[in-house]
Amino acid sequence: MNAAAPADARPLARALGAATFGLALGALLLARRGPSAAVPGPAVRQRLPLAPDDTGHEHTDRDRARATGAIGCADLGTDTAGDDRATAALQARRLYQAAAMLAASVLSDSALEHYRGNFENPGMFTPLASAAVVLACALRGAGRDTGTAVRAHGSARARARASAHARQTTTARYATTRAAGPAATVPYATACAVGAAGLGFHAYNVLRRPGGLSWANLFYAAPLGAPAALLLAGVIGLAARPVAAGAPTLAGLPSGRALCGLAAFGLAGTSAEAALLHFRGAFQHPAMWVPVSVPPVTAVMLASAALPGAPGPRRLTHALLKACTWLGVLGMGFHARGIARQMGGWRNWSQNVLAGPPLPAPPSFSALALAGRAALALRAAQAGPQREAA
Amino acid sequence: MTRDTDAPPPRFPGYDVLAKWGSPSFDDTTRGVLAARLDAVPPRRWLTEAEWTLLDAINARLLPQPERAHPIPITPWIDAMLHDDRGEGFRHPDMPPLRAAWRQGLAAVDDEAHRLHDLPFVRLDADAQDAVLQALADGRAVSPRWQGLEVKRFFIHHLLKTAAGIYYAHPLAWNEIGFGGPASPRGYVRLGFDSRDPWEAKEAP
Repeated sequence: MNAAAPADARPLARALGAATFGLALGALLLARRGPSAAVPGPAVRQRLPLAPDDTGHEHTDRDRARATGAIGCADLGTDTAGDDRATAALQARRLYQAAAMLAASVLSDSALEHYRGNFENPGMFTPLASAAVVLACALRGAGRDTGTAVRAHGSARARARASAHARQTTTARYATTRAAGPAATVPYATACAVGAAGLGFHAYNVLRRPGGLSWANLFYAAPLGAPAALLLAGVIGLAARPVAAGAPTLAGLPSGRALCGLAAFGLAGTSAEAALLHFRGAFQHPAMWVPVSVPPVTAVMLASAALPGAPGPRRLTHALLKACTWLGVLGMGFHARGIARQMGGWRNWSQNVLAGPPLPAPPSFSALALAGRAALALRAAQAGPQREAA
Repeated sequence: MTRDTDAPPPRFPGYDVLAKWGSPSFDDTTRGVLAARLDAVPPRRWLTEAEWTLLDAINARLLPQPERAHPIPITPWIDAMLHDDRGEGFRHPDMPPLRAAWRQGLAAVDDEAHRLHDLPFVRLDADAQDAVLQALADGRAVSPRWQGLEVKRFFIHHLLKTAAGIYYAHPLAWNEIGFGGPASPRGYVRLGFDSRDPWEAKEAP
């Protein structure tokens, strides 16, 4: 894919590769030093939504059911005990799944494309390693937090009866989460660093070509959207941890709003990448319009959900997010068909998987839609008590 | 026009384009064409025996293949072209039609050899043969047999280009220059300058 670097550019490429590793290492050390940044401080913990006491129980449940829209969200419906932490754990699980799916997409896509680029620069191995680690950790995180969710859910009833102890239990749980190890954020922080460095590399690849920042180079040089996806996987993975712990805010914003904004941004960016490449493909199949029309609308809806104020029922947003989830699956099907339509079809896979439509690209829509659904559920859960207070 | 007899080491050592025979790089059409090129070398049908021997001697000087036990056949394919009267679809205004040009040209080359060295072309040594061909290439021909035939054009356009075209259509010549042959259905995925796909020839460092 890449034009080979001229001989005198090779040392520069090596230096940049070394810089990537340095950046990743730096992120690793930073993440090791400041683990508490992601975990809410004591002041925040006071405002944490706690397990509701017996009196407000029924009311809160109904309210949340209304707030989340409760349309066909069977997994949300399991939250009958109204335990916020169970909700949080479930959404965190979704976030981990989203990070894992995005990482899997990045891993397979960068493996294919960087193989095609002949790993011309040693730094081209970095996203493979980083995405693989994120994939493994996010899958483990999803598994672990499912367990936590079930346990939290089970113990919620007992705690609701002994509501006097609720606050202490919560505090104790945070203590254990924090003790569980700041190292858990390292893979995600590294992915963020690698993604950011990758953006720089890919921008350099575009700019160093004759013509610089031109449409042709944006079409055919290293894609800017790909490292951004790794960055997103890292950010989502980083967000999942405090969400699992029940932290109400992320980066100073209510976590629901912050994640709605993040998912909206991710969907818009992925759609822009699809628009660029589908335009390159001359929109030769009508289905190629779908990923450039549905996700942007979804992104706008999600972005509006990120605005302050009551989010409302959000039925359309939910429906669009579901559509985006299916878009990933359908897109893979269409891309597989696109490969089959190339000369030689699947029998000529060694050419067509590389030169045809990218098989690993569409699932990033599913991943971001999953993150969006988690964000929306958190947003609804957080809006509930606020509205009650108002 | 001469080639060093102790041949230089191959530029693409170990490369055999025919190893792609069963791979996605070759399809049935390619395999059919190549099989004909390799095995179905046509017999003499249009040239006279003397013309055939003369043309063979000329081709041996244009594209010497001392390193090959079985040289790439060139003369049989020129004969096949003339037998089928299959030209390129055009001719130069100062040249007769294809068959006439070749018949007259070959006779003129032999006459040129007689005039320069008092011997038929095929009995000259390599240096004398080269001298005759060099005279044609420079347009210094003296034989009246060139009447109505542009000598330089006959040498460049007919003798040289036809021989080179046939020589480099043979898989053994592809191995020599690292050419991959047709790439269908598999094409190339590393499209940048100086980038090499795994199924392409590897040049010696």
